[in-house]
Amino acid sequence: MLALDIRNLNKSYPAFQLKDVTFQLEQGYIMGFIGANGAGKTTTIKSILNLLHIDSGEVHVLGKSMAEHELELKQEIGYAFGGVDFYTRSKLKTLTDAIRRFYKHWDEDAYRGYLRRFKLDENKKIAELSAGMKVKYSLALALSHGAKLLILDEPTSGLDPVSRDDLLDIFQSLVVDGEISILFSTHITSDLEKCADFITFIDNGRVIRSSEKNEFVETYRLLNGKESELNDVKDKLISYKINSFGFTGLIHAADFDPSSGIPSTVPNLEEIMIYFARKEHSHV
Amino acid sequence: MYNLLLKDLKLGVSPLFFVLPLFTGALMLIPGWLYLLVPMYFCWITIPNMFGGYKSQNDLMFTSMMPVTKKDMVKARVSVIVILELLHLVVAMIFGAVNLRLYADMTVYFFEPHPGFWGLCFAMLAIFNLLLIPMYYKTAYKYGAASTTAIAGAMIFAGVAQWAGIQSPYLADLFSGSGADNTAAQASLLLAGVLVYAGFTFLAYRMAIKRFLKVEIQ
Repeated sequence: MLALDIRNLNKSYPAFQLKDVTFQLEQGYIMGFIGANGAGKTTTIKSILNLLHIDSGEVHVLGKSMAEHELELKQEIGYAFGGVDFYTRSKLKTLTDAIRRFYKHWDEDAYRGYLRRFKLDENKKIAELSAGMKVKYSLALALSHGAKLLILDEPTSGLDPVSRDDLLDIFQSLVVDGEISILFSTHITSDLEKCADFITFIDNGRVIRSSEKNEFVETYRLLNGKESELNDVKDKLISYKINSFGFTGLIHAADFDPSSGIPSTVPNLEEIMIYFARKEHSHV
Repeated sequence: MYNLLLKDLKLGVSPLFFVLPLFTGALMLIPGWLYLLVPMYFCWITIPNMFGGYKSQNDLMFTSMMPVTKKDMVKARVSVIVILELLHLVVAMIFGAVNLRLYADMTVYFFEPHPGFWGLCFAMLAIFNLLLIPMYYKTAYKYGAASTTAIAGAMIFAGVAQWAGIQSPYLADLFSGSGADNTAAQASLLLAGVLVYAGFTFLAYRMAIKRFLKVEIQ
């Protein structure tokens, strides 16, 4: 079953537009949702949660239309928005007490279990938690109300490497049973190399590609050629940089002829993001 | 809706605002004062502070993420306002009753706190709500313009009502003179005030829902 099915999502602002955003997330997997700042990640996530009024398109969560079953589906969605704080001067237990009443399937034992597992002290105030602990608290809440789809907007941004690694391990352990799915937006692509099964790459409001992680990077090649070779491939390159050794450029694997002799490697996610961003800049 | 109301009362409203009616109500004990000012403290202090709290705590986003309808969000918030307004008025009425006993023989210039006067207070808060609530729900977080307009509306009503109460011998007599002993007249004035309050607040709630449905939660 699809945990998340987004089709032809369109949303226009005066200075920005989501254009035909389409991607699907299978239940039981982690999808990394990557893109530069301002590429449309948060707008897409807010559209999924019905916080924004989309111009057109469809969002289905766990097989049901979000537009028609918003309340029912929000019982099944857990979220963590990195960097956004609510009622920071309240104690965890006060906040939890207000939140748990909204969820039909709240499991108090599970909540206690997650507090212990994540080493959260419910007598602390939100403001006293580190960034990583805040994400863990959001996860504890989401998992205690039986969320099947976790939507995490930049959950690891601003965290130290140890906390990030810790969270990534937690994410991976959550999807093991195949019931929970995670959509995880970030611009820290190394996190996704560690834990994502699928990658959806959004750039300037448009989904460039959504596919299995290895397939995603295999679609591209990073060329390191001499400047004299640039003209042979220039038209096919997504974008390129010239340096003292020659040029480095990103190309679709299908457009690259290995017999050309230009050295090529499989790029990492970060390189793909950077070269797509350069393409935008060169068009401006 | 009940959960939302509980959330607002527990998280959003500082306990100070439940105690404040006692302090403002006690102002009814000032002899011969301009008592229309008493419920006005709710408009001046409670509303801007409470709404400022919701804004700074990101309440709009917090609540929108939960499995609740926008209609219930408005209903809960309007209920909080109504609960606090009634608390202010009821406490002030109790102090008002003490006032009437304490200063029975005093000649006063402004309205005395007879039931008819409380009808005027209800009407004043009705105007306040009608201006505040729909304007606030254009964004559901910006409260400055809405509070300013609503406070101005309530104050203009209070000013005109008090001025008319002094200038017009008929009104002066109805509210504080011989009319004060006319139970039917006083009860009618109070009832009229309550009805205006209920009607205006309900209208404000309906307008707020319509506007809030169009709001995008950024």
